[in-house]
Amino acid sequence: MEQVRGILRDLLRRALSEHARNVPALADITIEPAAGRLEPRLWVHFTNGYRAWAPVRAQDFYAFCERYLAWDLPSLRHALLQESHEIYARMCAEHWAELARVRERRGMAAALLDRFRRRADGRGRVFARRPSAELDPPPLGDAPPRRQETQRRLLEWWTQQRHEYARNAFYGQGLTAEVGSKRAQERGIQLLKEHLAPVQRQQYEKHGYFDVVGGKTGKRYRIRHGRQMNIEQLDRNGRRVCGWCFYPQGNLVAGDVMLAQKLAIELFEADALRIANRF
Amino acid sequence: MATQIVMDRTGDTRHEFDVADSNAVALAEERFRQLTGKGFRAVALGRDGKPGNLINKFDPNVEQTLFIPQLQGG
Repeated sequence: MEQVRGILRDLLRRALSEHARNVPALADITIEPAAGRLEPRLWVHFTNGYRAWAPVRAQDFYAFCERYLAWDLPSLRHALLQESHEIYARMCAEHWAELARVRERRGMAAALLDRFRRRADGRGRVFARRPSAELDPPPLGDAPPRRQETQRRLLEWWTQQRHEYARNAFYGQGLTAEVGSKRAQERGIQLLKEHLAPVQRQQYEKHGYFDVVGGKTGKRYRIRHGRQMNIEQLDRNGRRVCGWCFYPQGNLVAGDVMLAQKLAIELFEADALRIANRF
Repeated sequence: MATQIVMDRTGDTRHEFDVADSNAVALAEERFRQLTGKGFRAVALGRDGKPGNLINKFDPNVEQTLFIPQLQGG
């Protein structure tokens, strides 16, 4: 019973994580029978067309069928749909509550920052643009020094976070920034482009990513410009299935990392995925 | 001329050698042995972005050999 609920929760969580703000409604559940060496699949369909699947085993469903007295496919489907609606409703409620908490936290932080700015502007200073070390000591008779120090540290931290976010957004690669000299980066990109197929090169120049087909499984992967957490596995429709993270040791430049990732997927996919972390 | 390309922090380092020069070939073979011993993977690069081949044994006739450092999960 718990195994079936676990499978359903995983599938529903995928929909929530991929559609953070526009959460789709659950539309249907289907069971795809086993075909050849492929196990049966449980598909979950959503109103916006998104669908997700997971392989299932008959033994996982025994307790579930017993609980719902569902011994044929239509009644099992009905029972699964009923169970999914309940789980999804709970998950959506938690999801919205979490989003509201995040919004509230952001709002509080922004309000606090505005308050600091207003106070600083009131004293005739351009607070945010000056390095914190240059700030004058607070005038006597104002708030206690300890409180001032906490506020100063908080503002410093906030500024640092903002810069970090801006840098990551600029490079467009999440957690990683470029390493190496400009010359090294250019050499890396040149080496990469020399060994990309014309279609991949065109794709990389236009979109900042290129697609690679796994040499062993034939699965499609998308390598985005970056050094870490930049590989996505795609399904037949080009939708993201999951992310993979692996890279060569030695703090290499982005071009080298992407070329190594491409060759690894093409030539020793199984080894690379064994080392990689899935996200 | 054959080329061995080693990925490193400068982008890459290229070692060219003449396949007719036995000393240069011996040096290239020694480099191949050392790098693969350290965990680098040697790839005989294909043309026009084709995948190429993973090679475990030194072959002086391979036009371009790329050495990829050991992979790690992130």
